[in-house]
Amino acid sequence: METENLDKEIARKSAIVYLAITAIMALLFFVVTGLMGTYPMVARIGGVMWISLLTLIVSMPLVITSMKKRIKGTKRN
Amino acid sequence: MTKLEDQRSISFPVQGMTCASCVSHVESALMELPGVSDVVVNLGTNKASLNFDPTLVNVTDFQKAVSNSGYTVPTQEMNLHVSGMTCASCVDHVERALNELPGVTSASVNLGLEKARVQYIPEVVTASQMKRAVRDVGYEAVEQDTAVDNLDRERKVREDEIRRQGRNLIIAGTIGVLVMIGTFYDMLGPFQSIVPKFLSYKWVLGLLTTPIVFGPGRQFFVNSWRGLKHGVTDMNLLYATGIGASYGIAVINTLFPNAGFGGEGATFFESAALLTAFIVLGRWLEALTRGRTSEAIRKLMKLQPKVANIIRDGHEITIPADEVETGDLIAVRPGESIPVDGMVQDGYSAVDESMLTGESLPVEKKAGDAVIGGTINKTGAFKFVATKVGKDSALAQIIKLVEDAQASKAPIQKLADWVAGHFILGVHLLAVLVFIFWFFIGYDLFFDAGSRFILSPFALGDIGVFGFSLLLSVTVLVISCPCAVGLATPSAMMAGTGKAAEFGVLFKGAEAIEKASKIQTIVFDKTGTLTKGEPSVTDIVTSLENNVPNKNQQMKILRFTAIAEQNSEHPLGEAIVRGANTNDLELSAPEWFNSIPGHGVEAKIEGVAVLVGNRKLMSERSIDFRTLMSQAEKLETEGKTVMFVALDGQPAGLIAVADTLKETSVEAIRRLRQMKLETVMITGDNRRTAEAIARQVGIDQVLAEVLPQDKAEEVKKLQALGKRVAMVGDGVNDAPALAQAEVGIAIGSGTDVAKETGDVILIKSDLNDVIVALEVARATMNKVKQNLFWAFIYNTLGIPLAAGFLYPALRLVVSPEVASAFMAISSVSVTLNTLLLKGFSPSTQRKVKRTGRDTVAANQFSASTTSSD
Repeated sequence: METENLDKEIARKSAIVYLAITAIMALLFFVVTGLMGTYPMVARIGGVMWISLLTLIVSMPLVITSMKKRIKGTKRN
Repeated sequence: MTKLEDQRSISFPVQGMTCASCVSHVESALMELPGVSDVVVNLGTNKASLNFDPTLVNVTDFQKAVSNSGYTVPTQEMNLHVSGMTCASCVDHVERALNELPGVTSASVNLGLEKARVQYIPEVVTASQMKRAVRDVGYEAVEQDTAVDNLDRERKVREDEIRRQGRNLIIAGTIGVLVMIGTFYDMLGPFQSIVPKFLSYKWVLGLLTTPIVFGPGRQFFVNSWRGLKHGVTDMNLLYATGIGASYGIAVINTLFPNAGFGGEGATFFESAALLTAFIVLGRWLEALTRGRTSEAIRKLMKLQPKVANIIRDGHEITIPADEVETGDLIAVRPGESIPVDGMVQDGYSAVDESMLTGESLPVEKKAGDAVIGGTINKTGAFKFVATKVGKDSALAQIIKLVEDAQASKAPIQKLADWVAGHFILGVHLLAVLVFIFWFFIGYDLFFDAGSRFILSPFALGDIGVFGFSLLLSVTVLVISCPCAVGLATPSAMMAGTGKAAEFGVLFKGAEAIEKASKIQTIVFDKTGTLTKGEPSVTDIVTSLENNVPNKNQQMKILRFTAIAEQNSEHPLGEAIVRGANTNDLELSAPEWFNSIPGHGVEAKIEGVAVLVGNRKLMSERSIDFRTLMSQAEKLETEGKTVMFVALDGQPAGLIAVADTLKETSVEAIRRLRQMKLETVMITGDNRRTAEAIARQVGIDQVLAEVLPQDKAEEVKKLQALGKRVAMVGDGVNDAPALAQAEVGIAIGSGTDVAKETGDVILIKSDLNDVIVALEVARATMNKVKQNLFWAFIYNTLGIPLAAGFLYPALRLVVSPEVASAFMAISSVSVTLNTLLLKGFSPSTQRKVKRTGRDTVAANQFSASTTSSD
């Protein structure tokens, strides 16, 4: 039971972090393409989606692993 | 703090791993559990092994951790009929007894039905262990339904996977071909008339591709999501993003052609369909070939006899072989397998031990001889007493050694796993960079609507910035799959250890193979390794008139000396008596006998006064041996001990005794030198004797007068010179040197200590097997290097190509489906290359085959025909 609660806590905290990273990257892409002014809206939206997906894929395992270490390490100590 | 003795080891199967990154995920998941250490997960064997503290963690925790990572520990169910239970507490006892067994994940007992339903991990706990546990708490247990044995189950799992991927391949392949035909409809030329036009409509292509993506392709999405949820990225993620992106963009461009994602010119339905088909093809081929590298284990397991005919109360009854207990008397008839290890009590036969030792000739067995379980009785019938059963038997230990070796990781494999494990994240990062480069910079600078796909007659067409950047980004993901990197080392190691076991050479780990392949110097212990380890008669020199060698005279001297020495317990006397027995000489009792301590013996035999002893004894008795003295000195220079024999006060001859070389020693050393290896002999003997032996055998360097405790120090000195050293030995005193050397090779007939210390065990005591070990190790490491080359070359060449490095110059793009074909080829080429090891035959075996295996073991002593001249 305790392990399950711990896993939930890790999942929740990790999700906040990797979703934030993803959102920042997506926003950054959207803003940059807007500032450059030459890209059609659909290309910008498509780019935002692709960048978001890849950022999510890259950040999820990294964030979850480090969160696991941090939270489990804290509990053990 | 857990004490070392509280630690337990366990090895269990893990299903669902496809690549090196899966390995590292399962390893991390298990390592995170409290009380767990030394986790090793092997992709080739699909097994995890670890040490754990049973007070902190149990098998169910392992199962949960593995399943949380997106993989499974397969379990099996078995029903036991339990008799003798009368109440609820009996139920509790039986349940507890079963649940306490490591490997049992759950056990529930039904009193009314007298039935225990046990969920267990088959490779961790056996049916007989469960039955024994129930018996130990006072009840009787019988299997209600025969569980499919390990081998069948393993084969079934593989066959299921082959069938599943085969079904997926038929769906994805068949529909994929239709999608391809439809996509390239305009290029069909004269064949257009036989293909319906509607097949080229985008929405039809979409309808055809959808079942591929959500049918055979579903496994990649499900597995990658399951992994991602736990912070795990694996090969499935690469496939899922590749297939998903191709399909998603194709759907958008079909439904909303004016959305600006490239329109109808950028519908990648054929990419999504063929990508799935090629990946599934790779999975199917992998499932087809992967299991074949563990044939050796399967062959060894098949040797385990199923039944034994034991004699109880004078009656012969047949019982399952795993229920034989130590001390049982077992009857074996011609043609039957010997069920367990034991000692022959009665009868005579020849037993084929080739399956375990590689020795082609049947070995004679009589009362007092040891027999090995799993070998086959050829000619006669005999009875034997079981001495080792179950996991203690020689066959079980050989299987365990090979399994452990196959489950272990070579240093090179650890590196490959690490690279592959971190590769996937790196590839996704690269895909982001590729997309950003082509989106912001590359498209404007280099894009040309006339660009073509590699290995395709089609032009890219009018594709927008997003479509083009996405295409290159997806292709990078698909072409980068490192599954071949993950398979390269373990598959070769499995094949190599298995191949070595076929020839009677057991490697204890993959690391031993890697180190053995790099050995430069081999140190041999002398006694028992190069030599037979017991003195025997080597020369008989007679003192004759006319200098004519006379066999009869030699045998006469040998017989008289043997009779005189019959009561002697001196090793030299025993050697002479053995020599006489080997030559079938009849030994009567002496009429009179006297031992002269420190000098020799004297006796009266058939009226002749026989005096046998050293030079000093002869001098004291004023017997003049001057005519034979040069012969005596020559023999002593060869490291032999010379005994002088006088008959009726006259010099009659000399008998030389020495520890003789094994029949195979000279040939083995010659071959090792041919392999450009330095050979060294280490012995406690004096230098003259040691050098004489070394000359006979052809050894390069002699380390003489070395005390047993200093052998390891001598090995260390060689290592200090920068040499990579293997030590071959058999005795307890060799153990430190075996441990000190890079590779310790223990002779099978040697002590248990030596075998436990050695990294390699030669089941036979044939030194030619040292060559087998080194040749197999070299062949295996060559295969590993070739595999890693094939695995990396695709990625090294493919990734820059897919990322568009050559696009500015050549205007060529790799399509995702071609990328997936490359990726599948790399996995399959690695696996097929490994399978070539199955045909490997060591040079010693090649020679045996050429000469028709007609070499007769030259164990008989034949007296030298040397005479005084």
